[in-house]
Parts: sequence; structure tokens; C-alpha cells
Amino acid sequence: MDALRTHQLSKQFIQKNGEPFIAVNNVTMSIEEGKIHGLLGPNGAGKSTLINMITGSCMPSSGEIVVFDNNVTDKTIQSKQVIGIVPQEIVIEMAFTVYEVLYYFSGMYGISYAERNKRIPKILEVLDLSEKAHERARGLSGGMKRRLMIAKAIIHKPKLLILDEPTAGVDVTLRQRIWELVRELNKQGTTVLFTTHYLEEAEQLCERITVLNHGKIVKNGDLKDIQQEFSKNLIRFELFDRNTTHLEEVQQVGMAYNYPIKNLRDDLDRIAAFYKDNLKSIRSEAASLEEIFLNLTSK
Amino acid sequence: MSVALHVFSLYSREVMRFRKLWLDTVFSPIISIILYLAVFGIVVGTRTIGDINFLSFIYTGLLCMLMVNSSFANPSFALIISKNVGTIADLQVVPIPPWGIGVAYAAAALTRAIATLVFTVLLTIWFIPLDSVHHITVAILAAILTGLEFGLLGVIFGMWAKNFEALTFITTFIMQPMIFLAGVFFPISTLPGIWSTLGLLNPLHHNVNLFRYGITGYADVSPLTSCIAIVSISLILFIWMQIQTKRSLKN
Repeated sequence: MDALRTHQLSKQFIQKNGEPFIAVNNVTMSIEEGKIHGLLGPNGAGKSTLINMITGSCMPSSGEIVVFDNNVTDKTIQSKQVIGIVPQEIVIEMAFTVYEVLYYFSGMYGISYAERNKRIPKILEVLDLSEKAHERARGLSGGMKRRLMIAKAIIHKPKLLILDEPTAGVDVTLRQRIWELVRELNKQGTTVLFTTHYLEEAEQLCERITVLNHGKIVKNGDLKDIQQEFSKNLIRFELFDRNTTHLEEVQQVGMAYNYPIKNLRDDLDRIAAFYKDNLKSIRSEAASLEEIFLNLTSK
Repeated sequence: MSVALHVFSLYSREVMRFRKLWLDTVFSPIISIILYLAVFGIVVGTRTIGDINFLSFIYTGLLCMLMVNSSFANPSFALIISKNVGTIADLQVVPIPPWGIGVAYAAAALTRAIATLVFTVLLTIWFIPLDSVHHITVAILAAILTGLEFGLLGVIFGMWAKNFEALTFITTFIMQPMIFLAGVFFPISTLPGIWSTLGLLNPLHHNVNLFRYGITGYADVSPLTSCIAIVSISLILFIWMQIQTKRSLKN
């Protein structure tokens, strides 16, 4: 069963100058139940607009969204009931205590009083917020507020959890903790869709990815397949001295260099002959997600 | 799918919000009422309007004004603050239909209006020359309808306004003139010419009229007419609230 399916989904805005702007353009994608799916793309690619349409916060201009067999347009309430979202911005009722924030928010998902009082202490413990339960949200640190946002998103045990850059601006320890939590929730059966700018994060967590650029899907599929597709034609090497002339086909990626393969043996010989003793290391390897991303979004 | 618990939870949150700021939301309007009563009590003294003492006349008007201001301010300011800090996003993702969101906010507004009314009466009734309440059921009905009506109006403008300036504009240029032309401080019939007609057409006048009738027995127009007018306006506002809430939360 698909946890999420979009069909020819588009969203058009009218800009202040009266010109139309297509934020999401004819997006057709699906996420299988129980998977972790990454939604990648540069700033302004249309990721947040797509997420807003999925959560029912924004009406599509055309197309269809189905969340666990509920069409978001027709069965908005049913689809919202099974979705949990961690938005990019920290949005918490600052005048309320941590416990109250979760208490009222979970109530808005129809969770009974008794069940709320059972779930909240557990979730606060998992997210290491138990000691802050009766403190006002205003006084929490940035990392704690981020954890509270996650608690809000999972308190009603959603079947589809959407995380819109959940680790933006958090320290390494908390990022690792969030990864663990996402994996744990996924093991328990929650389907996860998340956007991130940390490509390493997507590589660590995702089985499948969708890359958006200018509102359109430029790549969609299994991460390993995509990496394999991009690695077929790549030799990576490093040099002792980088202040040197290069072969015409060579592209610099960080401290290393990439060379597109035509014939592996001939190309290795050619690189070895050109750089001679300056060659520090050379290998044929899978392209990193960063390289794939840059390749896809720079077009 | 029943959303009763969902709506009640949102209502409870909004009640909790004004309870947390009770000095500002409940007690600060009471100070205004006491000051009004002190000034008018000294200036006007023992004058009468119809069969009732002027202080009783103005007291009922001020109580109604208090409910109007409290019930309008509660949802409108809560929503505009939500828009400013981003928590409006919560309302966009929770499984509550637009009518449910509006009803929860309007019911919380009513609760605040009634709470403010009760505290004000308890603190001030001792200084008012009122021997008995003319028709308690009518007074309670008028209080409930007023709280709901202006709660709905607060939801509409809170959803519509994009910033504080827009809301302040509504409060200053629409709400205040309406209050002053509603017969809070004087009978509508004493207004000259066109102002008297405008006063009678003012929807808020009916709220003041019905509430004042319930407490003192004095009425500018028939209490039944006022009751029908308030219910009709509330129904129109209920429909408008649903449309406005849906539109605002989808954008």
C-alpha cells in the first residue's frame, strides 16, 4: 500500500507583479508504506509547498494527493489525522508549559484525556524533556524546542511522519538523536518523508529519494540505484599538489577530482601517465549524494 | 468521524490562554468600568431616564460594552498573535474542520465575556441602585448571544487581518463608533436627526437594548425585535466565519 501518492500535482501562485509562479509543477510520486523517503532540492525548489499541500495547509492548483487511501481534498480531516509534521520553523505556544503544549495539541487529534496523560510522560522521556515538563516553552533552549516540535508531531502516533528540515541548526549530538528516533519510529511502522539540506543525512537514513528542482521532479527512485547509475562513469583521484594543470575532462569536487569513464583501463592509464608521481590515490567508486545532487540541480 | 473532542480541546486551550493572562484579560476591563461608573456617578448623580436611575442605565450599557470588547478581543488578538509567531500552522494541520475552529474560538470568547461579566458584577453591583433584576432569563440570554456574536466577529476579523495594524483599524474605526452609537451612555432617542436612525440600525444597539431590558426593564425598541436581530446577525456571522476561516487557513 502507498502511504502517499501524488498525481500530476501542481501549485501556481500569482506574484505581486501579477505574473504567475509555478512552485510545484506536475509532480507524480509515491511513497511505499513503512519506508523512509528523502525529499531533496535546493532552496526554492518547491519542497515546502509540496509538503504544505500534503498536510492540507495549502490547496493544490491541480492534481491529486492521496494519503493512506484518503484523498486530501475530499477527506481532509481523515488524511490530517494520520499525518504528523515537524515544520521548518519552531512554532510553539510560548506561554504554555511543555506538558500543556502536548496536552492540548494531542487533544486536537481526538486523543482522550486518560490516553494523553499516559502518552505525554513517555514521549517526554524518549525526547529527554521530562525535567522540563512543567516549564514554559519560552524558556527552553533551541534544541529542546526542536525536540518539543518532534514530540508534537508524533504524540498522536501518525502513520506518515513528515519532517521538514528537522535537523537545521541543531548540534551534532541532537542530530544523531533525531536520526535514531526516526529509525526507531520507522521500525515501529511509521512511514517517514523528510526534507534536508544535509545530504549526508539523506544518505544515512533514506531508502528512496526524490530530487526536486524548479518545482519539477528531476530524479526519483531507490538511492542505491541512483548512486549506481551515477557511479558507472566515474573515477575519483586525489593529488599531492593541487596547483597543477589538469586533463580537460577533470572536475574538482572538494579536495578530490572526478574523471568521467569512457574505458576504465585506458582512462586509469591516462590519468596515471598524466599526473605521474603527483597521484596520491585513485579509485572507481559510487558517486556521493552530494555529487548526484549537484549534477541534477545544476542543470 | 466525530470531532467533538478535537474542538473541545482547542476551546480548552483558548480558555487556558486567557486564564494565564487573567490580570490583562479579565481584571483590566473591570478597572475601566469602575472608572466610568465613578465619573458618571459624580457628574450625573441622581438623574433618571424613564423610570430608572441613570447610573443603572449606564451600568447595564457598560456591562454590555465590556462583553462586546472581551469577546471580540479574545479570538481576534489570539489569531493575529498566532499569525505573527507562526503557531497558526497548528490550526492548518490539525484534523478540525474550519467551522470547528471558529466555534472553539467563539466559545472561548463567550467564556471570557461571561467570566469578565461575573467578576465585574460581583465587584461593582454594590454601588448601583438596583433593587431587583427585571427578567433574569432575558439578561442571561442577551449575555450569551452577545458573547457568541462578537466572538464570531472576532474570529472573522482575526482570520482576515494580516497584521496588528489591520486589526487596530477595525477596533478604532468600526468597533468604537458602534459602541458609542449603541445607546451605552444615553438613550438612542435623544440623538439628533440622522444619528438617531443610525443608532437604531446599529446591530450592537440590539445587544445593549436586550441586556438592559433583562436587567432594568427599560427598552428603546421591542426586546423581541432585538432578540430576532441578534439571532439573525449571529447566523450570518456563523456562515461568514466558516468561509473566512477556510479561506485564511488554506492560504
